[in-house]
Amino acid sequence: MDTDNQTRQRLLYLHARTPSVFSEILGYTLIEPVKGFQVEISGGEFAWPYQTVHDALVEGWQIVQFPHLQSPFSDTDLDVVGYEFILQKLEAIS
Amino acid sequence: MISAEYLLNDVDVARFLVNGYHVVEPDLPAGLNERIADRLDALTANPGDAITETVPELWQVLEHPQVRGVLISLLGEDYSVNSHRHWHCKLPGSGFMQWHQDSTNDRGTQIDRLLGLYYPHTITADMGPTVIVPGTQFRNAPTDRMATYTNIRGQVPLAVAAGTVAFTHYDLWHGTASNSSSVKRHMIKFLFNRTSENSVPTWNHDPDALNRPRDWNARDKAEDAGNILSFGNPLGVSQSDHYKERTIRRACWDELIGQKSAS
Repeated sequence: MDTDNQTRQRLLYLHARTPSVFSEILGYTLIEPVKGFQVEISGGEFAWPYQTVHDALVEGWQIVQFPHLQSPFSDTDLDVVGYEFILQKLEAIS
Repeated sequence: MISAEYLLNDVDVARFLVNGYHVVEPDLPAGLNERIADRLDALTANPGDAITETVPELWQVLEHPQVRGVLISLLGEDYSVNSHRHWHCKLPGSGFMQWHQDSTNDRGTQIDRLLGLYYPHTITADMGPTVIVPGTQFRNAPTDRMATYTNIRGQVPLAVAAGTVAFTHYDLWHGTASNSSSVKRHMIKFLFNRTSENSVPTWNHDPDALNRPRDWNARDKAEDAGNILSFGNPLGVSQSDHYKERTIRRACWDELIGQKSAS
């Protein structure tokens, strides 16, 4: 099957300090729709492409899932880091 | 008994409670790291818990006073070396390891076990260093839910000098980078346990350690235990999470000095 120039979904998971798109990003995962693609924890300094979710919106990313805010809440316990936004770009990947 | 010079001080303990790790470079005998690394390089199978029988020189690391001093400070004079230990050999070309906390989720406020990660040779960024995330040790997060995280603010690759031992809170989030170098990366993981609750602090403690006034100007650059416990925020989390962290840290501190929190 010829997949050249087919529109594919690029995914970006951003974990923000708060549910606001203007809060600082604490976690970053980019997933390219390319066979064999692997994410990578940096063994050195990681250069953050965006500082906020809003920075990504400015670059054309679209939010496909906002953080769940109705999950069980504890006023004493801590769970995952930040609030997860999932974003996409539909682009032709050659 | 161990000489007090090897014990941690209040600032060290406060920083451990905030960051979840403490690194030492013990003054090991000349040639010991190289001998251990050479023996590990030559292994053809992983001996599991028997790594200390296969490479008995490892006991010299565990018994070094700079190592014992950290363990006594955080786990008490009667800490034990758990029988579980493991040689982590990361081969050239091997990929990254996802973030995880060891074991299941049962987070408490007692410092009752530590991991000790010993690196017999110098680790560079391309050798697949262990990567830790300071400040995550109190998070009750199943490892499965970390699968969508890759790079996290404040993460620290343990690109360290030969002979380094990194002590981590048992629940600190950790993973590894990939090994894109041409050499094997060795790390021996040890586990240490507390065997009794503290009735007094087991480090070089000043009873006035937390009595310095709040310093709103220094905040996360504070140099005293009280302000470190109050203002430290290595992940840069929100106010809600930060307040919870403060409460948990203080409960840990109180247990370590032998005074359980009222809550």
